[in-house]
Amino acid sequence: MLTEPVTYQDPCNISRNGGLAKQGRELVKALCTDFRDMRDNGDYNHCCGGGGGYIPMGPPFKRRRMESGRVKAEQIRETGAKTVIVPCHNCIDQIRDLNKEYDLGIKAVHFKTIIPHMMIIPDDMKHEEESE
Amino acid sequence: MAEAAVDTTEDQTVDTKVIKERLDLLKGGRFKMWLEICAHCGLCADSCFFYLAHDKDPKYMPSHKVMKTLGELYDKKGEVDRATLKEMAEVVYGDCTACRRCSMFCPFGIDIATMIAAGRGICCSQDLHPDGLKAAIQNYKDTGNQMAMSSEDFVETCEWMAEETEEELKGLEIPIDKQGARIMYTVNAREPKFYPQDIAEAAMIFHAARENWTMPSNGWDDTNLAMFAGDGKTMTAQVKLVYDAAERLGAENIGITE
Repeated sequence: MLTEPVTYQDPCNISRNGGLAKQGRELVKALCTDFRDMRDNGDYNHCCGGGGGYIPMGPPFKRRRMESGRVKAEQIRETGAKTVIVPCHNCIDQIRDLNKEYDLGIKAVHFKTIIPHMMIIPDDMKHEEESE
Repeated sequence: MAEAAVDTTEDQTVDTKVIKERLDLLKGGRFKMWLEICAHCGLCADSCFFYLAHDKDPKYMPSHKVMKTLGELYDKKGEVDRATLKEMAEVVYGDCTACRRCSMFCPFGIDIATMIAAGRGICCSQDLHPDGLKAAIQNYKDTGNQMAMSSEDFVETCEWMAEETEEELKGLEIPIDKQGARIMYTVNAREPKFYPQDIAEAAMIFHAARENWTMPSNGWDDTNLAMFAGDGKTMTAQVKLVYDAAERLGAENIGITE
């Protein structure tokens, strides 16, 4: 279990437009002990600021992307979270950029980054200890 | 004023016939109603992070962004010059991510992002979409994924990840083109290209859960930057590629990466 404060980024395509805001939170709560939701969360969460193709539009848009990302940076900072779980490749790239730009001191991770470390491995999938 | 980010070429031509055709095609019941019923109440303004991040500058109000682009195109019946269309491109690509949050606050339920997307379609028809998206579109057309990765390289990456990860989980495989799987898993092309560990992590979860899964050797990129650019043709081809793979493999579901 993660013991430091954790928050959750709702990717627009997963929460507002995909209807999975509740399921995302259930999973987060199963993985950490101190979950702190952002203000304006779930269906009402803000875009990471890098959606709609904004990141792959490339360097000419970077400055604008960082400026408008201020809202997301503030949302994250307010939670006091050290880890942001981000189930979207696009959001995670933006949040990592925001982390540098706004010095948030956070770590952004996917579910699949942390679940393998916490899941129970069935016995038949464990390699036998090599004895020499 | 932000620096212009789209279309740095000297081309000054606009095919207004194509723009008019698109406007006519789009002007079904929904668009006509949306453009007419917006009461300019301003409730969408505070919902928009562009507006909030720019200290409530009215030029970032969602309603304004639509009126300045699609609205103006209809007002002028598509008769715009390239300089005007370029200004519109800066708005539809650079001042909105089509997140659809504003629609949650519009008392009329106007789908503002869909109209921004329509504006992108018109800009794209005149080759005014950003260079980064143009490059990705070319890659989709050539290879079926935005990173221009060959099918061989993709399969090799998966095999390499499976080999490494089996050391942690006995019996782990990344099944390629397996018939009749419950989940056909697809990824963002950045994963095999730059973050192959992402595929390994997903494989660990599928394996531990004893999931019946597979990945297709072709049709594995679930991103669609052509959609964001407004290139409907390439967008459709890319979606079809993934669905065709699922049909070919008789998969029950298409799984999409985080």
